[in-house]
Amino acid sequence: MKADLEDLRKRIDLLDESLVRLLNARAACALEIGRLKREMGMPIYQPEREAEVLRHVHGHNNGPLDQDAIKRLFERIIDEARHLERIAEEVQLNAQQKKE
Amino acid sequence: MVVVMRERATDEQVQNVIAKLIEMGFDVHRSTGALRTVLGAVGGSRQFDTALLEVLDGVQEVHRITEPYKLASRSFKSDNTVITIDDVRIGGDEVIVMAGPCSAESEEQVEASAAAVKRAGAKVLRGGAFKPRSSPYSFQGMGEEGLRILRAAADRHNLKLITEVMDLSQIELIGRYAHIFQVGARNMQNFTLLRELGKARIPVMVKRGISATIEEWLLSAEYVLAGGNPDVMLCERGIRTFETTTRNTFDISAIPVVQQLSHLPVIADPSHGTGRRDKVAPMARAAVAAGADGLIIEVHNDPDHALSDGAQSLLPSQFDRLMAELRIIAPAIGRSICLEPVARRGWGV
Repeated sequence: MKADLEDLRKRIDLLDESLVRLLNARAACALEIGRLKREMGMPIYQPEREAEVLRHVHGHNNGPLDQDAIKRLFERIIDEARHLERIAEEVQLNAQQKKE
Repeated sequence: MVVVMRERATDEQVQNVIAKLIEMGFDVHRSTGALRTVLGAVGGSRQFDTALLEVLDGVQEVHRITEPYKLASRSFKSDNTVITIDDVRIGGDEVIVMAGPCSAESEEQVEASAAAVKRAGAKVLRGGAFKPRSSPYSFQGMGEEGLRILRAAADRHNLKLITEVMDLSQIELIGRYAHIFQVGARNMQNFTLLRELGKARIPVMVKRGISATIEEWLLSAEYVLAGGNPDVMLCERGIRTFETTTRNTFDISAIPVVQQLSHLPVIADPSHGTGRRDKVAPMARAAVAAGADGLIIEVHNDPDHALSDGAQSLLPSQFDRLMAELRIIAPAIGRSICLEPVARRGWGV
């Protein structure tokens, strides 16, 4: 019994490591998208794209998390991506101002 | 800030609100529930109007988490502000008592009142030279002559002088006589006056308007602070409620509330707070027990013949008795009041 618990916890730790890696890979992608959006003069917040992302992940969800739970989790991931893009934009603006 | 959407608000309505929040500079945390969505907005500036969001379709309510004032808030400055005027420290351990007549009426009256309040332990002389009254036909004050008389009496008795400034044109003149500017309840939202007092290098006491919320009152203090004057104290003087037995309802709870929200000293005015002489002492005792940093009390040598506010002015003997009681109450909450020994003399009352 105790050994099972240890094993499962180890598995969670490994999965968490993968999650952090994947989340960061996703964030790096979002940052790159943010840079392209700025170059093309597009707004950071694009609700239709966010809806598309949620539809997409729902299509791949086989549980045990239900669709609402997936939605809430991805909403948080998207919130953080938006935050990251905003910070990157500020940094770029500041750097531009300094140059000028 | 938290924006609560209505039950069954559409996705489009939620997206609209998110777009507005982002435009205002906030980071948005969306939380979708079974029935309704709640949006948490963090960052951004303090200067926004929640009404801009409340009018959007699908929004049920908007709650601000940060205060709209900054310099006046405890989160900006955690230590209590202590205002020092020579040897008088307002906002420290000692409860500072300001006392004197409502208005300066004559040299003799001011002298008698100043001598009486000094003997009882007051540190600051109060008294008005320009009196804004509810009726334009009531006594309107002695003007500059009154200021001269008040300052002379204060100097003779080693008291500081607090007096009311009513408009911009008086700042320069009153500034030559006063140690503390008082902004009256009726002027609490005279923002041009407050802004100008922000440039003054004399402490300012902002009285609470009769229908002002604590937030509005702190925003008034913020005007003075934002102008560059750090020496601001607040004064609770009663608010208008449905009760008519007393002139105003003295809001003692405002004292601890403001002390939690702000670092500024809080003075209590039980005279205007109740408008009745026999209620002044109980409310003064309660205010000190509640933690007020000071009191401002009307004391008149002959209140029955006072030209203004006689009904709420204490007799010198009553003030003396009150001070003796306060000297027992203050130590119970770790404060002191009038440290030097006071000469005991009879007033013949």
